[in-house]
Amino acid sequence: MTTVSLTDVAAYLPGEPVPAEFYTRYPGAEDKLRDHPMFRVPPSRHHVARDETNADLVERAVQPLIERHGRAAIRGVDVLLVHSQLPDLPFVGAGTEVARRLGLNPEWLVDVANAGCASFVYMLKMARQILTSSDARSALICNAQSAAGQWFTQSEVRRLAQAAVPGDGCGVGYVTTSARSPVLDVETRHIGEYAGDMTLAVDDGRKYWEPGRSQLRIGFTGAGVARVLARGNRLVPEVITDLCRRLGVPSTDIDVLITNQPNRTFLRNWREALRLPPERHLDTFDEYGNLFGAAIPVTLDRAIGSGQVRDGDLTVLGGFAHAGDFAGAVAVRWHGGRD
Amino acid sequence: MSEESSTLADIPGLVRIENTGKEELTARCVELTHAVYLHHQVYGQYCTIHEYVDCPAEQAYDYLSKGHHLEEWTCSLRDFAPTGTPGLWAGRDRLEDDTRIYCRVLASPEAMTVDYHCSWDQGDKLWMIYLMRVVPASLVLDRPGSVITWTNCRHPYYDDNPYPGLAPRPDRPWVGDYWDLFYAGHTVEMRNLKAILEHRHRSGLPIGSAPSRRVAR
Repeated sequence: MTTVSLTDVAAYLPGEPVPAEFYTRYPGAEDKLRDHPMFRVPPSRHHVARDETNADLVERAVQPLIERHGRAAIRGVDVLLVHSQLPDLPFVGAGTEVARRLGLNPEWLVDVANAGCASFVYMLKMARQILTSSDARSALICNAQSAAGQWFTQSEVRRLAQAAVPGDGCGVGYVTTSARSPVLDVETRHIGEYAGDMTLAVDDGRKYWEPGRSQLRIGFTGAGVARVLARGNRLVPEVITDLCRRLGVPSTDIDVLITNQPNRTFLRNWREALRLPPERHLDTFDEYGNLFGAAIPVTLDRAIGSGQVRDGDLTVLGGFAHAGDFAGAVAVRWHGGRD
Repeated sequence: MSEESSTLADIPGLVRIENTGKEELTARCVELTHAVYLHHQVYGQYCTIHEYVDCPAEQAYDYLSKGHHLEEWTCSLRDFAPTGTPGLWAGRDRLEDDTRIYCRVLASPEAMTVDYHCSWDQGDKLWMIYLMRVVPASLVLDRPGSVITWTNCRHPYYDDNPYPGLAPRPDRPWVGDYWDLFYAGHTVEMRNLKAILEHRHRSGLPIGSAPSRRVAR
């Protein structure tokens, strides 16, 4: 079987860092919850500019890949997968716009709308499948997150404890048929049972696109925060443990673990459950906040750039989505040094 | 109520709906909730286990409240006989050679609690206390049968034998050396208890058995 590698990753963080005070000093801000790890305010995050789109973010994030691998290589990708946390337009995904900007002509183009915060894992699985079962030789997988500076800065939403946690950013992966940094295995599951538990809260009952005065918030249905916590606690260690079992290694053999980063409580619990020391579970939470789907590639890019991922490291990327409707983990043997 | 509130106001650290919003309460609880816990975090100071048993609560309670049945369901407590002190029995704990164990049963039929006050080597201070409770499963699980809970607290004597001179020999291991195995050991014994009670109940046999040695009156 063809070996597929996660050859490289790159990232883009829009604008200047936005300090915590942007939220904590906002009139009427909910402050009581901020002492708790679930809502602890990251010192810093980035926000997209008002006119910055998902395609803009991806275009910027891909530039380092072009510099390192050549424009021709990137233009030649056969597969383009794009996940936009907050689509700029209904109907139209960002994928074709990304293709236009970068001059791509991919045979396979999918705007991925599922797998949320773990969609990088799912896109890597899809890319690997397409690359092993077709003539396709390379893929570009993209996670754009632009909700922080738009959605969570609405005048009323900005007061909520949840608003101060997200950050904007974009991470992209370059996937090729090569044995350099092989994708060792992937474990993913969609969990229909938990579908629909994460909703848009629109206080006046309108559809989100109908005119009205209420501001869109993320809500969880009756399942509530406690159930989502219980699911998250269970799902991520479970899927990573199953992945490790398939690889035939204990979870403690993971050299670098990167997960989605909803809050400090999940990060602590996952690391504890997998019996990994903090220095092997890397995150960018304090600097970039919760990057949703972009957290995994952005953190991996930074970890590689800072030398925290060493040659030969067993690198595991994993997470869960929404209120638990998806969980996935992928293992890569990293040999993609940038020296 | 206002009197109670003023009394409570003097107590620092209380978390009540009056001073903590619902969301903050949830956030606090979330912080305390981990995905996994280390053994010593759960069983380090207290060891509580529980089991569902398909045997009516009254019969399970009755069985436990008769101390000589310890010879059936525990792994190693044997040969109980009355001592000169009423209610105090002495037997052998075959966990270690030549080790005497003393036991007194304090049972409360209304609460269906059965507490075994025990000690190795001497019967004057019974400090190894096994707290058991039988709850009708119809109440808590909406099914027939019983739920049995069993708690041990880590008395300081577990870590430091106060009467080393009473050991049958200087190198006899101390009961507290086994504390970290209590969860496992008690689970094995609870399964014995479950098996005995369920077998006899299911087969329509008498649940209890006669003591091998008579009580001194």
